[in-house]
Amino acid sequence: MNIQAFQQKLFEIGEQQGFTDMELYFERKEKFKCGLFKGEIDSYETSEIAGGSFRGLFNGKMGYAYTEKLDDDSLLYLVESAKENAQLIEEEVQEEIFRGSEEYQEGSFYSTELVKVTVPEKIELLKEIEKHIYAYDERVSGTDYFILESEESERYIINNKGLSLNERQNYIGMFITVVVKQGDETKTGAYVKATKDFSSFDPKEIATYAVEEALSKLNAQTAESKHYPVLLRNDAAGDLFQTFSGIFSAENAQKGRSKLKGMEGESIAAGALQLVDDPFLEDGLLSRSFDSEGVATMKKAVVKDGKLVTLLHNRKTASIAGVESTGNAYKGSYKGSLTVSPTNLYVVPSNKSREELTASVDEGILITDLAGLHSGADTISGDFSLAANGFLVKNGKIERTVKQMTIAGNFFDLLKNIEAIGSDLAFSMSNIGSPSLLIKELAVTVE
Amino acid sequence: MLAKSVIEDVLTAALATGGDFSEVFLEDRYTNNLNLQGGKIENSLSGRDFGIGIRVFKGLQSVYTYTTDGSKEGLLKAARNAAHAISGETIIRPEPLKKEIITCAHSIAINPRETEKTRKVNVMKKAYEIAKNYHSSIQQVLVRYLDEEQNVLIANSEGKFIEDKRVRSRLVIQSIASDGKQMQPGVYGPGAHKGFEFFENLNLEHYANEASRIAVTMLGADPCPSGKFPVIIDNEFGGVIFHEACGHGLEATFVAKNNSVFANRMGEKVASDVVTYIDDGTIANEWGSITIDDEGEKARKNVLIENGILKGYLIDKFNGRRMGMESTGSGRRQSYRFAPTSRMTNTYIAEGKSTPEEIISNTDHGIYAKYMGGGSVNPATGDYNFAVMEAYLVKDGKIGKPLKGATLVGNGPETIKLVDMVGNNVAHGAGMCGSLSGSIPVNVGQPMIRVSEMTVGGSKEGE
Repeated sequence: MNIQAFQQKLFEIGEQQGFTDMELYFERKEKFKCGLFKGEIDSYETSEIAGGSFRGLFNGKMGYAYTEKLDDDSLLYLVESAKENAQLIEEEVQEEIFRGSEEYQEGSFYSTELVKVTVPEKIELLKEIEKHIYAYDERVSGTDYFILESEESERYIINNKGLSLNERQNYIGMFITVVVKQGDETKTGAYVKATKDFSSFDPKEIATYAVEEALSKLNAQTAESKHYPVLLRNDAAGDLFQTFSGIFSAENAQKGRSKLKGMEGESIAAGALQLVDDPFLEDGLLSRSFDSEGVATMKKAVVKDGKLVTLLHNRKTASIAGVESTGNAYKGSYKGSLTVSPTNLYVVPSNKSREELTASVDEGILITDLAGLHSGADTISGDFSLAANGFLVKNGKIERTVKQMTIAGNFFDLLKNIEAIGSDLAFSMSNIGSPSLLIKELAVTVE
Repeated sequence: MLAKSVIEDVLTAALATGGDFSEVFLEDRYTNNLNLQGGKIENSLSGRDFGIGIRVFKGLQSVYTYTTDGSKEGLLKAARNAAHAISGETIIRPEPLKKEIITCAHSIAINPRETEKTRKVNVMKKAYEIAKNYHSSIQQVLVRYLDEEQNVLIANSEGKFIEDKRVRSRLVIQSIASDGKQMQPGVYGPGAHKGFEFFENLNLEHYANEASRIAVTMLGADPCPSGKFPVIIDNEFGGVIFHEACGHGLEATFVAKNNSVFANRMGEKVASDVVTYIDDGTIANEWGSITIDDEGEKARKNVLIENGILKGYLIDKFNGRRMGMESTGSGRRQSYRFAPTSRMTNTYIAEGKSTPEEIISNTDHGIYAKYMGGGSVNPATGDYNFAVMEAYLVKDGKIGKPLKGATLVGNGPETIKLVDMVGNNVAHGAGMCGSLSGSIPVNVGQPMIRVSEMTVGGSKEGE
């Protein structure tokens, strides 16, 4: 069944069953993924998926259901399940089905050039990178992840209040992990990037980056466990912001899950910190001109000169707070319910290079990657204790690689303790980006 | 779910370019997901996941394609897409399909799909009341309910044709304690390969009270000191440490490409003598149990490490080719959207001889990790990290004051050699495990164990 036919039948049955306002959120996705191991194609994946989520008001309560099978059985399943679900809802403030914004800004989220890149070209790129990886250093023992993936997706929102929107997006991504061995030591180095510009992948540069990253971790030595000034490299800083990005959600604040509740206008970070949410970034993974309930998106400051300007809202949280939606309604896919998420959220870079930041540190730790973010960070209290890799910095220079560490602190304190911001903004494979950040002090424990 | 003749056509089309093995995996899954916050149902989601994955091998090449289009044309197109990536000269025909009838090893009494949602809500509210009333400092309680019925059909060019129904149920209770300044969560999430009867027989008092007790205890806890200590890890979910530290490194996913620290070490001593490590998908109705894996192989009990000696790996069909070894019934995947790879089921350290009292009284100065949070590992290096949800200081053989913010870091193959005491109280805990083939239900387990030295990361400098 095609989507128009499915939507029409769905709304007909919905109306018969007593739904007043109704919406179909539909998404289709095509994906290509390919992995290489020692010159051979080791994994190869293609896919085409589609699914729809039905959302509707029954007796004033919003019910949800989704399906990946667009057949007659599913029509009835969607309406009946959504009805049963609506009847269970006890929350007073309900979502609404939206008529639409006055205007939608155009964005460039779909590259027709990217569509023209052929599978043999993609495989050739991987082979080139792999050649450079093995040629670069004899300590390279292999690769772990070695994957290129490209994706094209389209979202539709159609409701019975006259709204009908759709938008396409595509990207190509690269994930590489190189393994190096020296004596008893095994280390890995990763390269990760998402873009719309295939020609921006330079095989030699990628290989060099990943191998150097792994080699730099060899000869790891211990260091004193104590409080140090910490320079978080751009990717590590981005990962940390990603983990705590939920604190900017008005939904979390209203449910008592964010300490930023009611802090609008107050100073929450060092005066140098500017945090921006930009739905129109060309290579942004969550770029979009309308959010998941159809509200037009907009670029906005979230933190300006260290002060919280606004939390991120969807229409429901905005109506509770008595403000306008910021266009941050979000559904992970048709499988999820409506929540709040940043689009592309990033720390605005300064003009100081990472080298300059390093040079300003007498004795400190440069952190290059973090692990255990899903378990070692409490987004409510802000406390974190994370596994980390990096280097000891002395007299403004990188002195040596340090064994596996943990860094511990509190994210809300960290925001206030940002002493300097770098110029090297990066997003790696995420919708959250940051340049390198110099933090006054964190507790560092070395293995 | 799909006509035999259609499957045969798809398997044939997938082999048309010279592949030597083809497979069809069809999934039709119904899920329910309910959230209760502040005593009220906040949302209730229902969904039907449906899709087909087609896989083709040629030697050490593997191609996977998946689609939500279940029509014959859609499937043949997907099969041709997969075949497109293969080029070989010998075209083989699939064996005729022989339907295997299996009985589910994990009996289901009440199908959750046929259970009214109001009964589910009642369970959630009961859990909420217990957790909320535990202590005046409990500020919020979040209860998540989920059930699923996953129907699968697996057929391959070797003539395999098998169907299975997997029903799982889980309740996650999160309590948040607050003293006005700080907020501290405590979580407990029991689950089983069972239907709605799981909730009816569940000891809600115990789980809901524990979630709140952890939150309240940790609210008043001191920051954990950092440094190197003997660490006692309690039974049940404590097993997550060896799930990360060793389990992943024993998966063929990493062993086959020599990317695991345990590769090529069969028969060698890799752990201390007191360690026997087992993966057993056959335990009746456990959260991580399966009747057949996602390649249609029967679940079994695999001894991985016996008295410190490496005895086996967890192997799927594809990685088995590279290793020259047979499948161990370990091919698993989150859904049709993932090609299967070797994964764990219910993995645990087998019972030892010490009593928990002996382990604690034999520890002069250390850390007792009562409940573990999550963690992760880099299988290539074996470096792992874990959050400890509830920890205590151990002094002079006694459990002392509670400690918060503890993280354990270390290297799996090193740590497993440092296990010096193993208790006699094996228990299992439910979790979700993420890897190449997605997020799947697994149990982790162990009796209480002691590691002679571990690196503890905390926010307070060493004592």
